Amino acid sequence: MIGWLRHQTQALLAAQRRLLAQPVATLLAALAMGVAVSLPSALYLGLGTLNRLAGNLPASPEISVFLDGDTAAADRAAIATRLKQSDIAQARYVPKEEALATLSAAQDLADIAAGLAQNPLPDAWVVRPHASSREQLDRLALDLDKLPGVAETHLDSQWAGRLQAALALGRTVVWVLAGLFAIALTAISGNAIRAQVLARHNEIQISRLIGATDRHIRRPFLYLGALQGLLGGLAAGVVLAVVGVILRAPVERLAALYGSSFHLLPPTVIEIVGVLGLTTLFGWLGAWLTVSRTLRLADSAA
Amino acid sequence: MISFSQVTKRYPGGNEALSGVNFSIEQGELVFLTGHSGAGKSTLLKLIAAIERPTSGMVSVSGQNVGRLSRHAIPYLRRNIGLVFQDHKLLFDRNVIENVLLPLDIAGFDRREALRRARAVIDKVGLLQREKANPISLSGGEQQRLCIARALVSRPALLLADEPTGNLDAGYAADIMTMFRDFNQVGTTLVIATHDDRAIIALGGRALKLDHGKVTEVSA
Repeated sequence: MIGWLRHQTQALLAAQRRLLAQPVATLLAALAMGVAVSLPSALYLGLGTLNRLAGNLPASPEISVFLDGDTAAADRAAIATRLKQSDIAQARYVPKEEALATLSAAQDLADIAAGLAQNPLPDAWVVRPHASSREQLDRLALDLDKLPGVAETHLDSQWAGRLQAALALGRTVVWVLAGLFAIALTAISGNAIRAQVLARHNEIQISRLIGATDRHIRRPFLYLGALQGLLGGLAAGVVLAVVGVILRAPVERLAALYGSSFHLLPPTVIEIVGVLGLTTLFGWLGAWLTVSRTLRLADSAA
Repeated sequence: MISFSQVTKRYPGGNEALSGVNFSIEQGELVFLTGHSGAGKSTLLKLIAAIERPTSGMVSVSGQNVGRLSRHAIPYLRRNIGLVFQDHKLLFDRNVIENVLLPLDIAGFDRREALRRARAVIDKVGLLQREKANPISLSGGEQQRLCIARALVSRPALLLADEPTGNLDAGYAADIMTMFRDFNQVGTTLVIATHDDRAIIALGGRALKLDHGKVTEVSA
């Protein structure tokens, strides 16, 4: 156990020395990895921001049922009873005073609301049905529209569905890209390690002659790959931070034009740790593939 | 300790380096392998250290069938064998003592114990003053002594030397051979491939002559 630990620390220190001995090559490889990793990461973060924005909007379809201004109490009671039936998941009554208050609270509309002499808004129900298919929803909306005292129904599901589908597509694209860039990362790491293996060919051969196991020979290179991957992850962080700083002002200006306080969200700690862990893992994997292949080739040549 | 029975080694292309070789070496022996270059001396040493595998026949070292050893087991066999090369095979990116420490690092020795052992063996080959020197600054004879120190530092029971004095002038060569005799006297089994007949006469001991892939016993 102590011998094992000693081997690990020795290999880690050796790997660190080798990285520091070639600062330019190390930095270039880290930068190549960083750029590769930053692309899917940036897309992921962008989607995360959009998703959180979309999260505030109703994702499932809603039917707004607007009542006539002079609906009788009996009709109101009948509507309320109808909305308690089993095909309705949830129904919320929005009196016109509440609707006006919400309107007044919304940015830029407060002035308009304040300028109104009387409340022009109707009482309404916001209904969330169980059904999800387009025809069922249409039929339900029509049913509700025919109830006495209902002025109008409005089904607002389409755009929400489209947004959700677009976000789902975006998420799939992120994973596909991440997979491709993981392959690229492994290749970059493997290539960087290959140069190291060639430079250390003598040492590898001599070590084998005096009783080094494959694992012993592989170990410093694996640490090298992992450290290189970690540096790549950190480089990606720097790239993203720079991009974020550059994009922040224009994005907020654009959002402001739409009357939104939308802004870019920084990654969470878990996301940062996750990306660093993955780049380290794929750096290690690239090193493992390269060194194992070299050892097998050396074996058949001996 | 070492036994060859009906060992044949044929290289791709049909060149037969050894054909049906039989001999055995007891523990504590000092044995010279002689013969003109290309007679198969290096091949024979490589078979003992499992650097190459026999085409047929059995090579046994300390009771292990070396030709059948798994890839995984070979490093552990080699840790019990010291190898001395004609071209030294030193690492020039580290100093004298770090070269000697390499086998101990590989075997996972405690650092302090490793340093103690390395100093002792460097002292034995007379390089203690040059401990921090880069091997490239050493003379040919000193490089060979360093190679021997590295081979001996893990105290192997068996030392294989391939033309250890091949590139050295007579004075250095005699030094090295004297050193080998001393190691043999403390119990190390030595197999030395050489075409230097003076050394064999000076040291005595058993000699195996290789000729066209066959081994014959010659007494010095």
